[in-house]
Amino acid sequence: MMNNDQTDMNTALMLDGNAVAGQLEQIFGRDMTMAIARCAGCARDARMGALMAFIRGPGVVLRCPACQNAIARIVETPSATYLEARGAAYLRMTPQT
Amino acid sequence: MVPVLEWQAGTVTAIRGETRQVKSFTLALPKWMAHRPGQHYDVRLTAPDGYQTQRSYSIASPPERIGELELTVERIPDGEVSPYLHDVLMPGDQFEVRGPIGGYFVWDVSLGGPLVLVGGGSGVVPLMAMLRHRAVQHSTVPARILYSSRSAEDVIYRDELDGIAAADGTFEPFYTFTRQPPAGWTGYRRRIDAAMLAEVIRPFDKSARVYVCGPTLLVEAVANALVQMELPIEQIRTERFGPSGA
Repeated sequence: MMNNDQTDMNTALMLDGNAVAGQLEQIFGRDMTMAIARCAGCARDARMGALMAFIRGPGVVLRCPACQNAIARIVETPSATYLEARGAAYLRMTPQT
Repeated sequence: MVPVLEWQAGTVTAIRGETRQVKSFTLALPKWMAHRPGQHYDVRLTAPDGYQTQRSYSIASPPERIGELELTVERIPDGEVSPYLHDVLMPGDQFEVRGPIGGYFVWDVSLGGPLVLVGGGSGVVPLMAMLRHRAVQHSTVPARILYSSRSAEDVIYRDELDGIAAADGTFEPFYTFTRQPPAGWTGYRRRIDAAMLAEVIRPFDKSARVYVCGPTLLVEAVANALVQMELPIEQIRTERFGPSGA
């Protein structure tokens, strides 16, 4: 469990999906901030730009703004990029978004 | 897959002091692309030993300024990137950027209004790109900005905002000061709260398109208040930046 100080610090350092838009675009080859992510935990939809983003660790964690379930994790090593997205039921992209 | 985002070296053509802690950098780009107001560029610095560090900075200029862009950057005392940009860079120097990036926190005149922009500190930067674009396009979309600063000296673009308002009756700025209001100030002097938001949004009611950019805690407070006011969630766009200036 996180104590309150850690919770506050995590909240203060929290960004949103916009902050990793460049990294996502590098992976997907298109802007992903308007794509919809359905949370595998609570089944609610959110624009990827509106996901909670924690970027101060060794990798990036994107969380559902409704239930805080970890939707996706991104780690870049010198030789490869890892994208783990077990927390997403799906991502929905359209040509416009 | 086509690599859509490429790093390129931008050349600094001008540096302008905005406040004690904030400077605007004009960059000329060999592969310039029109952006949408609200988008950002990633900036990457590489040390002689190969160590790289990267930050995102919002574009302050409107897309109508062809071939160059302006990034307005707050100096974070213990930051890795902003002190270099502030203290070391000179016109003629180069640094690497990639962009424009993002499709969520964007507004252009085709999206219409009425527009309510809410900014804290250097969170005003992407909002300024929207207002500059709106002004260049002679748009009459009603627009208001609610802008929170610590003190009068910390207000970025004050003269320009007041200038737009003087020339354009459909735009109105509202300032609030959280630490030291200017002498004789009769306006807001507290953090942005639900009552203040309600006053600024009132003439537009639930039709307002609201863009909120600032420190995470400000964005949280404003977004929660907007949801309480039952503003449709699709009309709310937020962008958070952390205390370490990402």
